[in-house]
Amino acid sequence: MKRNILILSLLVIFCFTACTKEKEVLVEVEKEVIVEKEIIIDAPGTLTLNFQSKVGAESFVLNTDFNIEGRTYNFNKLRYWISNVVLTDTAGIEYAVPNSYYLVEKTAAVVVQDGDYTYPAKERESVKIENIPVSEYISVKFFIGVDPVYNNNLSLQAGELSQLNGMTNVSWMWHTSYIFTAIGGKVTEGNVSKNIQAETGLNTNYKSVTINLPTGVNISSTDPKKANFSVDVVKILDGVDLIATPVVGASQAQVMSKLAENYTKAIVLTDVE
Amino acid sequence: MKQSLLHYILNGFMTGMLFISCHKPDVILPDEEPGETAAFTIPENFPRVMIDPDNPMTKEGIELGKQLFFDKRLSGNNQISCATCHRPELSYSDGAALNNIGVSGTTLLRHSPALINMAWANNGLFWDGGATNLESQAFGPLTAHDEMAQNLFELIEELIVVPEYVQLFDKAFRAPVTAANIVKALAQFQRSLVSANSRYDKYVRKEAGGFLSDEEKQGMLLVQLKCQPCHATDLFTDNLYHNNGLDDDFSDAGVDDIYLGRARVTYSDKDIGAYKTSTLRNIMVTAPYMHDGRFATIESVLMHYSEGVKYSPSLAAEMFQKENGEAGIPLSETEKKNIIAFMKALTDTGFLKK
Repeated sequence: MKRNILILSLLVIFCFTACTKEKEVLVEVEKEVIVEKEIIIDAPGTLTLNFQSKVGAESFVLNTDFNIEGRTYNFNKLRYWISNVVLTDTAGIEYAVPNSYYLVEKTAAVVVQDGDYTYPAKERESVKIENIPVSEYISVKFFIGVDPVYNNNLSLQAGELSQLNGMTNVSWMWHTSYIFTAIGGKVTEGNVSKNIQAETGLNTNYKSVTINLPTGVNISSTDPKKANFSVDVVKILDGVDLIATPVVGASQAQVMSKLAENYTKAIVLTDVE
Repeated sequence: MKQSLLHYILNGFMTGMLFISCHKPDVILPDEEPGETAAFTIPENFPRVMIDPDNPMTKEGIELGKQLFFDKRLSGNNQISCATCHRPELSYSDGAALNNIGVSGTTLLRHSPALINMAWANNGLFWDGGATNLESQAFGPLTAHDEMAQNLFELIEELIVVPEYVQLFDKAFRAPVTAANIVKALAQFQRSLVSANSRYDKYVRKEAGGFLSDEEKQGMLLVQLKCQPCHATDLFTDNLYHNNGLDDDFSDAGVDDIYLGRARVTYSDKDIGAYKTSTLRNIMVTAPYMHDGRFATIESVLMHYSEGVKYSPSLAAEMFQKENGEAGIPLSETEKKNIIAFMKALTDTGFLKK
């Protein structure tokens, strides 16, 4: 304690002697220091968006049979971009998270470019957003996919955007752009079995999701928060017949559009902790 | 508690000190624009153009792009470069209707387009316009299995061990070798390929050597009247997409709708069978013609326009030039001869020798 006071005094002396012209400013700064105490305690905080993939009530697990409306699905991937996150507080002030492009995924190894290379198996469903200004937030908005500026120009870099993770187009490469969402695996009904690869993309399918937080969520450095979402594959596949259309790409525009719309309904807030 | 309070005060105090320090703190300036900005001279008779502010052209960037363009390391088997299918002496086209010299040896479904005056090609790349800019477009041929089949991770590994490349990337982008910077450099090089010194150009700019014969002048007037609705301005392309009546059956939905032309990108029926207008510049060295190279000679192209245009609901309005309302562009034999004479005056021999 005494030692600290000594250091403080020394610093004060140092400053006074170092720049006498700045005396008045220094006094002001000393006042500010007292005020800053509060601010330092309530520094910007963290919100984790936790996307829990599900098949109905069950957890989404790779390489496991699931029964959805009489068909057996066995998935090897579920991947999607979450981007341009915006938080709105009680005063209506929006905080747009800079560089917010996140690849959320549960995937087996992805063979990219017809086998030229392999993207390793990966499970990542949690997106940690740091440095959120202190406030009470009442809604969170994000997009599924990549906005036209970045989607139209693969050489621009932001967040986790990359050409190297198998989420740029290979199968429909004439649209040089990002794959917004990808779900794949196998579907079986009776004797019929199809390998499925259902992708969305294209600027028209860049969709927003706005989720109201049930009670205001206070965010500050002292109180990191976590919002849990369920991402239900049953809802993603609602009304999409993957036996009839096992491959969904740019040539299957209508199915793609339906699928893209489904993703926005499949992501539901479960709780905030 | 008191201790930590004091700690905060001390911290705050020291932060405060930064503001009252006698010396200006060292300001970390953002990186200056790397490289030397390349003066981009717009030929007097060309329209104005905006260069993408996200990828400004620099001397160093163009030089790097050129080196990459001709480097066989950019293919999966290290046997072909961009220039294999875009040969400078052929105005960066390849002379084949549909080539099969990609890594897989498969015959491609589209003809290699010429690459000139690409800085003005700002309305989509590829014959159907699916790529928005040269930067994104480059990932197509680079990674497509039937073309260069390049694993991008491997490419970066191959380039970072070449000290010259490390230096060139540093000079051009102040950055290491990345996939994004590879395509940026390639785009800068392609935008630098300005071809505007044909005999016709010298004629319109009233420069030395700018002479057109009577036959060529006749041809020029015919082109202005009959071809320039699409082959517009002194770029001799409107950079738009038109159905010029090559086909009237679009029922083949194979290969991801490739035979629908522009419609597979826009999903619009009016774009069925529409392809990007090629420039008429250097046209005499860019045979064969059309998106699939179906016409081997310029004579057969003109024959198509005068006699062979097929009607379909999406046929371009510009194709209806006959008095009887039928599809096609009326051209007499003499007119065709004059048009061809003029087209020869559109060859920029200096550019082809570069």
